[in-house]
Amino acid sequence: MSATATWVSPSTRPELIDELVSGVDRYNPANGGILEDYLYHQIRSQEYDCLANLAILKLYQFNPDLYNGDVVINILIKALTAAPMPDFNLCLALLGERRPYPESDDDEPDPLPSLLPYLTALSELLHQCRFPEFWKLYKSEPLAPLRENYTIECLGFDDSVREVVVRAVRAAFTKIGKQRLSNYLDLDGEDFVSFVEDVDWSLEDDVITIPPNPDNRIEATVVHENIQFPRA
Amino acid sequence: MSHRMPLWNAETDADDELVEVDVNLALGNYGQNGLYDDAQPRIDETTLVAAQQIMAHQAAFAQIPDGVKRFIVHFYQAITENNLPEITSAYESGWNRMTEKFYAKTEWPEAEVIAPLVNDDPIFLILYRELYYRHVYSRLSPNIDDRFHSYENSCELFNYLLNSEGPVTLELPDQWLWDIIDEFIYQFQSFCLWRSKVHQKSDEEISMLATEEGASQWSCYSVLNVLYSFIQKSKINEYLVAQKKGLSQEDINDIVGEYGSKQLYRMLGYFSVVGLLRVHVLLGDYTLALKVMENVELNQKTSFTRVTACHVATYYYVGFCYMTLKRYTDASRTFVSILNLLFRIKNYHSRSYQYDQINKTADRMYALFAICYALSPGRHDDQILNMVKERYGEQLSRMSRGEEGLQAFEELFLYACPKFITANPPPYRSLPLLAQFVNSPPPEPAQRHVQLFLSDVRNQLSVPTLRSFLKLYTSLDARKLAGFLDEEEEGMVEKMMVLKQASRSISRAGLGGTNAHQGRGAQVPAGESEGGLLDGQTISTSDLDFVINQNMVHISESTVGRRYAGWFIRNTEYAQRVYDGVKNSPLPLPRSTTAPAAPGAKDVAPAPAPEAPVKKGVAWGANVKAA
Repeated sequence: MSATATWVSPSTRPELIDELVSGVDRYNPANGGILEDYLYHQIRSQEYDCLANLAILKLYQFNPDLYNGDVVINILIKALTAAPMPDFNLCLALLGERRPYPESDDDEPDPLPSLLPYLTALSELLHQCRFPEFWKLYKSEPLAPLRENYTIECLGFDDSVREVVVRAVRAAFTKIGKQRLSNYLDLDGEDFVSFVEDVDWSLEDDVITIPPNPDNRIEATVVHENIQFPRA
Repeated sequence: MSHRMPLWNAETDADDELVEVDVNLALGNYGQNGLYDDAQPRIDETTLVAAQQIMAHQAAFAQIPDGVKRFIVHFYQAITENNLPEITSAYESGWNRMTEKFYAKTEWPEAEVIAPLVNDDPIFLILYRELYYRHVYSRLSPNIDDRFHSYENSCELFNYLLNSEGPVTLELPDQWLWDIIDEFIYQFQSFCLWRSKVHQKSDEEISMLATEEGASQWSCYSVLNVLYSFIQKSKINEYLVAQKKGLSQEDINDIVGEYGSKQLYRMLGYFSVVGLLRVHVLLGDYTLALKVMENVELNQKTSFTRVTACHVATYYYVGFCYMTLKRYTDASRTFVSILNLLFRIKNYHSRSYQYDQINKTADRMYALFAICYALSPGRHDDQILNMVKERYGEQLSRMSRGEEGLQAFEELFLYACPKFITANPPPYRSLPLLAQFVNSPPPEPAQRHVQLFLSDVRNQLSVPTLRSFLKLYTSLDARKLAGFLDEEEEGMVEKMMVLKQASRSISRAGLGGTNAHQGRGAQVPAGESEGGLLDGQTISTSDLDFVINQNMVHISESTVGRRYAGWFIRNTEYAQRVYDGVKNSPLPLPRSTTAPAAPGAKDVAPAPAPEAPVKKGVAWGANVKAA
């Protein structure tokens, strides 16, 4: 199975959504609600479907009146923890256009503009593997609105961030010190021990051993040219 | 116009419903009322000035040079007789020759003026206008009327092709069919860019753009409608799937039906798929762009690659998508495969009237390749890499210098990226909002996209420096390495994780092989393995690898055995050209001594081929690339 299969078509994606995402129905503004409901389902049940969420942003791009700042923030939160994959920027690429002007003054202000710089900063910290700084920024006072209004609703958000950490550490380390990993994961004590066990790493004398995998096993090789001739 | 049935209804209905599908139906018609609803008042107006117009037309008619008149009559006859060779020659050379001679700086005569020459044939006049407006766009500067009318003319052409009773009998050369779709999208892009420059608009233009008609013309939905309509009508995706399965022509014809079995519709369908790829890229939707291409096999064997301009555009946009997905290996493989082809056929297509355009796109791809190479240096095709170093050597060295290299990335990206557009017009329909828009305009789309790209670059800025340090060691204490780089140890370890991630990539190169890590470098030409363009497997893209054991960094490097294939291929091709040249040259005069020189022994690009065109490449050359 290719490494992108789950990303292109997650096994949790319902058939109806699959039809929407793959066909021309995705352009029908009337289907926006279905996709938004599916996004909130992802938020509640720790699922992730990037292409379906991009379809929402596509509808917003073509129909600015449909724009909903809360939905966009939730999409970005989901895309954030796909690092180091480019999902977050793929979402932003569809987003940058001018939002509709408020019809009147008593409209709810759009929550996105004030949060977007922080979300972007969080994304950069994850892509740069600066995990301790990520937690520091994420828990800081200015980000209280993000935590209290959004990520608190997003089931397993912290754990999704830790999965980003696991991916980075698994590829680069064979052994890693406990304190370092603990800072990366923002976990200590019992929580730390049980997390390490859950990912099948072993902890001994304050050192965590990461089992061999294709990325942390290195060997010097000589590469020979391999030419295949097409057969007529 | 009857009611507008959106596609999601139409699709579930019987096939015979589909025959009646209107251009505007395929995607529904959201908030854009009919294009021609205002036809009635216009006709009345026309009646009033009819007499003057006839006289004006007669005068204009008298001005047309006889050669041009003869050309138009000849062109018209070729089209009514479906005489493809004659149409091709009139289209590719006659038109351009006449343009150079008589209309280099002015419009061609209006369609109404030349109508008497062609029996007022409506179809020919639509095709004529297609060329007329294309000439206006490429040589002159289109005004707002040209922009609106060229859109209307395209709609008329598409209505005729899609909504006649059954498939039309018209035949056009593939090149022209590609140009129709390509030009349609170009004019759309051009309109979007022009529309977004509010401060250059006159009051009259603003009021025209504020009307219902002005707002609906060239909308994204209407452009996508056209492309999807051709795709559905021609059943091109079904065709591509059937072709991939190796079904017989007869079976394929059964599947694709009366439209899809005709060359005209099949090609328009295919070109519309490529058109969609392009439109989605222009709007920044890279995943959707690659998704619409899922049934297209990127190789040089299908009949669809006969139109070089289409072939080149396909690779340019696909490669660009891969770059934005951070799949730099796939991007460079895509560029290499088309640039190699262009290099091989340059003796042919230098005569094509699109030579300049193709060359410009090729140069952009060299620039994009330079970017990909800077971000993911690994093994690459030597010949293309040498040419990139020739063209962009200075930028290449700047791009490896961390922070100060960002500007080089930005320059190359802005030079080589597509002309991004915004999906929506400025608020022409409300003057106060328009004023607000002018006062604080949103960022230009190209600026938005370059900033996103630069954020990817910024995330891995430290990679080249770290990599060059690690090359010097087989193992090294992390603290010591941090000391060399004047960094905190923790910060350095974080950068090592980034380095690791930057040397892994999802790539199509990993597909097909059983072990993902065998797929390093460009061994299989892009697109040869199965699966859609979004598929891929994680591969290692760097010869240098490392792992951290607590605080000790262990480094290993893969070395490359000596490579022969590229050298043999180039020299065999060179020998072939020399041989063809000798064979085709006249018998030498007794005292002639000018035999072609032997190939240089060094690994250099061969000298330009002799005058004679190369009849065929080395049979196995096209598909083999040095590993």
